[in-house]
Amino acid sequence: MNVLRSELLKLVSVRTTWFLLGGMLVVEGLYAGLVASLLSEEQLRGRDVSELLVGTPLITVFVFTLGALLSTNEFRHRTADSTFIITPQRERVVAAKLLVGALAGIVFALEFIAINAGLGLSILSNRDVPVDGDTAVDIYTGVAVGMVLACVFGVGLGAVLRNQVVTVVAGLAVFFVLRGVALLLGDAGTYFPAESLAGLQGAVGEDFLLSQVTGGLVFGAYCVVFAIAGMVLTRTREIS
Amino acid sequence: MPEIVIERLTKRYGETLAVDELSFTVDGGHVTGFLGPNGAGKSTTLRAVLGLIRPTSGRALVLDRPFHRLSDPARTVGASLDAADVHPGRSGRGHLRTLAAAAGIPFSRVDEVLAMVELTPARDRRVKGYSMGMRQRLALAGALLGDPRILLLDEPANGLDPQGMRWLRDILGSLAREGRAVLVSSHVLAEVEQTVDEVVVIGDGRLVAQGPLNDIVGGEERPVRVRTPHPDALRAVLEADGAGVATDDRDEVLLVHHCTLERVGTLAAEHGLAIFELTREAQTLEDRFLELTGEGGNVR
Ligand SMILES: Nc1ncnc2c1ncn2[C@@H]1O[C@H](COP(=O)(O)OP(=O)(O)OP(=O)(O)O)[C@@H](O)[C@H]1O
Ligand SMILES: [Mg+2]
Repeated sequence: MNVLRSELLKLVSVRTTWFLLGGMLVVEGLYAGLVASLLSEEQLRGRDVSELLVGTPLITVFVFTLGALLSTNEFRHRTADSTFIITPQRERVVAAKLLVGALAGIVFALEFIAINAGLGLSILSNRDVPVDGDTAVDIYTGVAVGMVLACVFGVGLGAVLRNQVVTVVAGLAVFFVLRGVALLLGDAGTYFPAESLAGLQGAVGEDFLLSQVTGGLVFGAYCVVFAIAGMVLTRTREIS
Repeated sequence: MPEIVIERLTKRYGETLAVDELSFTVDGGHVTGFLGPNGAGKSTTLRAVLGLIRPTSGRALVLDRPFHRLSDPARTVGASLDAADVHPGRSGRGHLRTLAAAAGIPFSRVDEVLAMVELTPARDRRVKGYSMGMRQRLALAGALLGDPRILLLDEPANGLDPQGMRWLRDILGSLAREGRAVLVSSHVLAEVEQTVDEVVVIGDGRLVAQGPLNDIVGGEERPVRVRTPHPDALRAVLEADGAGVATDDRDEVLLVHHCTLERVGTLAAEHGLAIFELTREAQTLEDRFLELTGEGGNVR
């Protein structure tokens, strides 16, 4: 419990957290506003409205980066020394970070839904474009779970890699570069991290993707693997 | 029972033997200076004590057990390894609160230690804007948070001004008088000399000397230093008396061995030779340190 409180405090006591939260507001606000206003009614009909509902791919970057910072800040600013002197059971620190990452992911997800629905859907209703309620709920749920998992993924990957820049670059590679590779691989490619996350989000027009549930389970499995690797490595590696 | 026991501690990094079969103990009630040239293995030893690195062989025990076995590490050991180890975006107070929360220490204690290190006026400013001395104070505040019985401080005097040094000396002294074990590594030997009462000297990862400061310094006879306008005449007199005489760099100064102060003064008076200065050369910790660890200062 103490460790969890400390990790929460670490999260909220740096400006970057708030910049990321505010940054997502601006970026997603722009995206939702533009997509809802500019796409033709034709394009927004039926499940194609998912173009709007899944939001910009950058939301994944925001939550992933936040998670990555939670882990790598300790090494970048060398606070790992005092952290692990106070809590020598290092895996507990990583576990607390994973939990805090999940909590932060929930907050970001709620913010995302508030912006996307508040701005995007209200523009659509002004334009009298109907949106299917079930579709919206499915996609928002998928995106929200995906954001929580992406933040946890960042924490896990950060704990494994430790270096801040390397972790963020690796994350970008996983979410963007690898996606291109996955496309070339056909079915096997749908099990890649970014592809399974996209499946979870439930976007339309990419029918070859995994279903939301399977996608969630696959991306969740990646998170578990990195989370456990992060805990084990943090426990066994030296802090010097 | 000593508070810290280091037993044949060895730490190897590839080809480098950072710490080599090092053994020593640290007792409560003293400020122990942990000295050695750059790269001697001081920080490595402290890290091993704190469980941050694993020894290649040997062990480091705190209160008779490995660090990670302590039931309440934050209230047992306070440590500061590097004053720069703070997220620059947090305030000093915010930084200490993250530590206090992890250790289950109330936030009121944070303000208490901030006051102890005289950082209260700056406590809400971001650490980014702190001076080196302020960071040192913050690091010390972090070490004091849990009111620990053992303090391990790596170079706590780095970056402190003379006022800060005196303040540190006083605070460490009073902590030791309360029965705590205080281990400080340092390069500032003149400062250490006034702060510590026990000394552990290492070189190339090995123990070179351990003991009370007074035993370590002034171990051997020091020459008498005499300044006179008649160095040649006085030298002849002293040598005739059986003393060994060396010259200092300056013409007027003689360094006299195997002879008391009183004898030098008496002989000079008997021969009508004026003397401007007559003292026994004190050995500083620095002299002794260089003797023990070699002047070359071969940083590995
Ligand atoms: N993580 C590491 N990897 C490789 N070598 C290391 C590591 N840490 C320390 N060393 C080496 O171990 C030796 C001892 O280093 P250490 O930092 O303990 O010395 P020190 O006595 O604290 O020196 P200083 O007075 O300069 O702080 C040095 O040769 C150093 O290069
Ligand atoms: Mg050092």
